[in-house]
Amino acid sequence: MSETILKPEELQPAAELARKTLEQLDAILLGRTELHRLVLIGIMARGHILFEGLPGLGKTALVRTIGQILKLDFKRIQFTPDLMPGDVLGTHILQETSAGKRELAFQPGPVFTNILLADEINRASPKTQSAMLETMQENCVTLLGTTRALPQPFFVLASQNPIELEGTYPLPEAQLDRFLFRLLFESVDADVLDQIISGRRRGELPAATWQMERGELEILFQTMGKIYLPRPVSRYIARLVSATHPGSPEATAPVNRYITYGASPRAAIAIAEAARGHALLNGRPSVGFEDVKAVAQPVLNHRLILNYQARFDRMTAAKLVAEMLGQLDETGLNLPKDVELAKA
Amino acid sequence: MTTTHPQALNVFARKLAWILMLRRAVRWMSVWFFVWGALVLAARIASAPFAEWLALGVLGCVPLAIFAAIWERRRLPGFSQIRASYDQLAECGGLMMSEEAAEMSAWHAQLPTAAVPGMRWQGGRALLVLAVSALFVAVTLLLPERFTQLAHRPLEIGQIVDQLQAEVKTLAQEKIVDDKKAEELQKQLSQLQKDSTGFDPNKTWEALDHIKQANSDLAKQAAEEALKKTESLTQAETLAKAMQQAADAGMDKATASVAAQDLASLLNAAKLEEGILNGKIPPELLANLDGLNKEQMEKLVKALELNKGSLSKTMADLAKLKLIDPAALEKMKGACKDGNYAALSDYLSHCQGGKCDSELLFSWLRKSCKGGPGGGGPEAEMTWDNDTSEKDQKFQEHTLPPASKLDDAQLVNVSKAAPELSANNLVVGHGALDNAVAGGGSAHSQTILPEHRQAVQKFFKREEK
Repeated sequence: MSETILKPEELQPAAELARKTLEQLDAILLGRTELHRLVLIGIMARGHILFEGLPGLGKTALVRTIGQILKLDFKRIQFTPDLMPGDVLGTHILQETSAGKRELAFQPGPVFTNILLADEINRASPKTQSAMLETMQENCVTLLGTTRALPQPFFVLASQNPIELEGTYPLPEAQLDRFLFRLLFESVDADVLDQIISGRRRGELPAATWQMERGELEILFQTMGKIYLPRPVSRYIARLVSATHPGSPEATAPVNRYITYGASPRAAIAIAEAARGHALLNGRPSVGFEDVKAVAQPVLNHRLILNYQARFDRMTAAKLVAEMLGQLDETGLNLPKDVELAKA
Repeated sequence: MTTTHPQALNVFARKLAWILMLRRAVRWMSVWFFVWGALVLAARIASAPFAEWLALGVLGCVPLAIFAAIWERRRLPGFSQIRASYDQLAECGGLMMSEEAAEMSAWHAQLPTAAVPGMRWQGGRALLVLAVSALFVAVTLLLPERFTQLAHRPLEIGQIVDQLQAEVKTLAQEKIVDDKKAEELQKQLSQLQKDSTGFDPNKTWEALDHIKQANSDLAKQAAEEALKKTESLTQAETLAKAMQQAADAGMDKATASVAAQDLASLLNAAKLEEGILNGKIPPELLANLDGLNKEQMEKLVKALELNKGSLSKTMADLAKLKLIDPAALEKMKGACKDGNYAALSDYLSHCQGGKCDSELLFSWLRKSCKGGPGGGGPEAEMTWDNDTSEKDQKFQEHTLPPASKLDDAQLVNVSKAAPELSANNLVVGHGALDNAVAGGGSAHSQTILPEHRQAVQKFFKREEK
């Protein structure tokens, strides 16, 4: 018993902060409770999030609201096909000093912020998209041999249109892998729409009634770091990620049939971190199997590279992940098939 | 008293271990019961001396259960995994799993109420197999011996052996087989009865059939011999009685001597000293046939009658044992009847100076025994007055009508060509010039003359080759 587990009173402040944040999000943006939970989990896990959905569903509004609640610096880039890397990262401009000498001065790009909204990221060319790789993984920018750190925390909350739309470039796998979650934005139901129309003039969002201070955000991050991941759960995460690779011992038949490349180790780390966030949101100091199951889908669904057979059979990554979660025995007990366990 | 999570976890772990051990034990015991049952069955079929001890195989269940428990215990999931499983089933959200690493008592208040998770072994099929295997063992142990000893059970041949032994005994009594051979056959039959098993019944049946056939063959030979001897004895008896009566009527010595020689020849032909009538006629009578007085002659007649009766009895015995056909017995009885010795006596008494015709005498005697094996067909009178019936014959005789007279024939023509007959009437042929056209020389329709046909045929046959 060498580990230190948070006591209830230690966990309570962070859980309360998370609860308040969620409350604000749910109040400002209607009808997306589950999505808000996942977004908050992603932020607590310090991960980048990719939103996917048709225009007008509230992706930008969500990101803007988060920035407002967390009182973090927020910048937005509208990605277009002619957007250049310098437009994102910043550029050097020739300036004359007071001494009359000319020198190159660095003009930081919009990436130098806490929350970067990369709107319609898949409309930019691959060259510009790849400019984001270093910022997302290393939280820094290197230009002309000089590396500049980005302000902390740094999140990229990107939105993308479904790639079926014209004038889009699919994101490279390396960049996709750097997103913690890929969250699907779907239309809200009629009741919510009715609420929006009737309660909000021109759709303007109400201002947040509570904002998280910077110190509180640090408490949240620190508490996240103390959420305990039990060994059986970490083993389950490892087995789950391993099972996404065709040919692995626990790979199911659909995995072997439809997946070309499985999830990377970064996916396992992402699941573990996100599961911690989920446990914190639920007011627990340790991660359970249900936390893993709750976050596995958004973590894995953009990390599986499917083959053409999957396209022919209309098989999606989400279906494959759901199938894996149903098949894989969480505890690894490997009981005989004729012995069944049931909840108490 | 409320159950705590650690207590419920321990109960859960114990229960899981018991179920897994029970499951393993049931499987192993099913296998053991089948093996045990097979061993019992094999031992009982092989009549192994230790078959009764196999019932103690039930004691094998105890070590088997212990081994199953040990085996399964070694393969049991680790306690960490069991705890994880409990955590998941009790919806503890990882708190029970965290107990492994840290003190979690502060969090127990936030855990759901402790209860042992449900556990179910769907062992219906395994228990059914166990029941079947146990039933199999019970059946093999309690199976009546007559079912397990099928192959070794002796054949039911007692009646057949008894009959064959009776046949051999009768054959020996009637001197048809000698005593040594009969004794050997009796021993063989006893041994056959003792050694016969259902495992290989063919050998036994073949041996019994062989002995039965041998007995039957010997009996048939004896029947033929008895028939021949009966014929000879009947003839000898007829002659002896005729001689006896002729002697009273004044038969001269020379005739008596010739008749005695004939009698001796008949008795020699009968070969009474061999086979089934060995030594049944007093030898002093046989040695002095020429000079037998009246009493001796009576004694000889009686001896002959006695021997005939003995032969008849022998045949009756063989027929009774079905060694010979009863029809043969009847045939023998009917075939040889006492001849008309009075007429023979009259002939002998009138035959002076030994000038009797022996052939005539034997012919006369043969009339007393007609038919029988080797004796030819019965004598019958030739008749010429009745036609043979043609009722069942395939072809019957018919006299054909006389041929048409050649005198009515008329000469029409003489030709070298083959005669041709038109549909309407006869056409006179002109031989080789039939189709010839003057000056034309048409060859394709030229008629081949009969004398050339062979040569032309030979030519075309050669071409074909």
